[in-house]
Amino acid sequence: MTQTSAIPGVAERPAPDATLDTSGLLCPLPVYKASLALKELTAGQVLELVTTDPGSLADIPALARQRGDTLLDFEDRSTSQIFWIEKGARS
Amino acid sequence: MTSTLKARPGLSRASGREVRRFDDVRELLPSVENPTPLVRLNRLVPPSAELYLKLEWLNPFGSVKDRAAAAMLEGLRRDGLAPDDLVEASSGNTAIALAALANLEGVKVTITIPDGVPEEKKTLLRMLGAEVWETPDDLCPVDLPKDGAIALARSLAESPGSKFIWPDQYSNPDNVRAHYETTGPEIWRQTEGKVKAFLAGLGTTGTITGVGRFLKERDPSIQVIAIEPEPGHRLPGLKSFKEANEPAIFDRSVIDQVVVVSDLDAYEMTKRLFREEAVMAGPSTGAVVHAAIDLGVEGPAVAISADSGLKYASFFAEVLGDEGQPTP
Repeated sequence: MTQTSAIPGVAERPAPDATLDTSGLLCPLPVYKASLALKELTAGQVLELVTTDPGSLADIPALARQRGDTLLDFEDRSTSQIFWIEKGARS
Repeated sequence: MTSTLKARPGLSRASGREVRRFDDVRELLPSVENPTPLVRLNRLVPPSAELYLKLEWLNPFGSVKDRAAAAMLEGLRRDGLAPDDLVEASSGNTAIALAALANLEGVKVTITIPDGVPEEKKTLLRMLGAEVWETPDDLCPVDLPKDGAIALARSLAESPGSKFIWPDQYSNPDNVRAHYETTGPEIWRQTEGKVKAFLAGLGTTGTITGVGRFLKERDPSIQVIAIEPEPGHRLPGLKSFKEANEPAIFDRSVIDQVVVVSDLDAYEMTKRLFREEAVMAGPSTGAVVHAAIDLGVEGPAVAISADSGLKYASFFAEVLGDEGQPTP
């Protein structure tokens, strides 16, 4: 089942190749673990990342920019956030 | 039937420093009775300079950090904490000493280590059975200053349900106590109370704060000189407080002067220490000695040689380039 994206102009939420749940972990652990998870993927594959640390809203997009990955979509729930990150060709 | 074999007598129970025989590796840890040596430099400086290096790499786990690690573990026991798992942020030397000592107590150690630390240190840690989490200093891309390894250790220790105890050498008063109770008194005794200047690098600041406090209490005229690297430096163990937070244990009131030394000057002086003094020290020692010579400190002066060069062979290879290799 596909869901509507939160990002205007993006019709559907991407299907992840891997999922990482970092619920309960404080920054920078979600960033660190996301980096490790992205290393395991090949270019073009998508990581679905769940966080509960509010700092992730700033850190994860910055991580994606820094690594050369693409933040395809995100969803900010009241107590958690979900990010979909596509691994870049050179990351 | 009576055995014709003679009973093997074994070694006598007596062990000690006279015969350099010990019942446990921990007996090698430094103290006023078992100080690390002071070795005078005779070629890089004129004899009148009377500059001594305190060779901390002759500690059992190879660095000045044996003292802090032993004191912090002792502190955990004193405070009734008996951890199964420790986490610590370290550029390697504290980690190595902590992992070695913790192994003897059956405690598992996880280390968060900044990237850019030589492979030698990371490999030694893994040899000791530690789990090594390497991280860039700017791990949190939007959260400066550059203390990624410390932030990661904190998050491992403080995330809900964490199994880790975090000694936190940057905030732990036992780090300072180690130097106030051992390094400082050793120097005082070894120089017969005549030391006029003390020099050490800034990292966790445990050494400069503990030794500086001890020496200033004995004689406030003793010059305490701190060596700081430049931002973006490549001198593991040292920290530039232009890019990193000042540790909570840092006491600037015991310091008379801070000298900033470049990587270039530090590595050049390390090379000279190897070649002219036959002192195979690590690069932070080169930084400290460069500052001592540059300032022309009044002797007797004591400079901390925090570790040996053996753990930096890969760094030295880069510095040397083709030097020392035959050409066609």
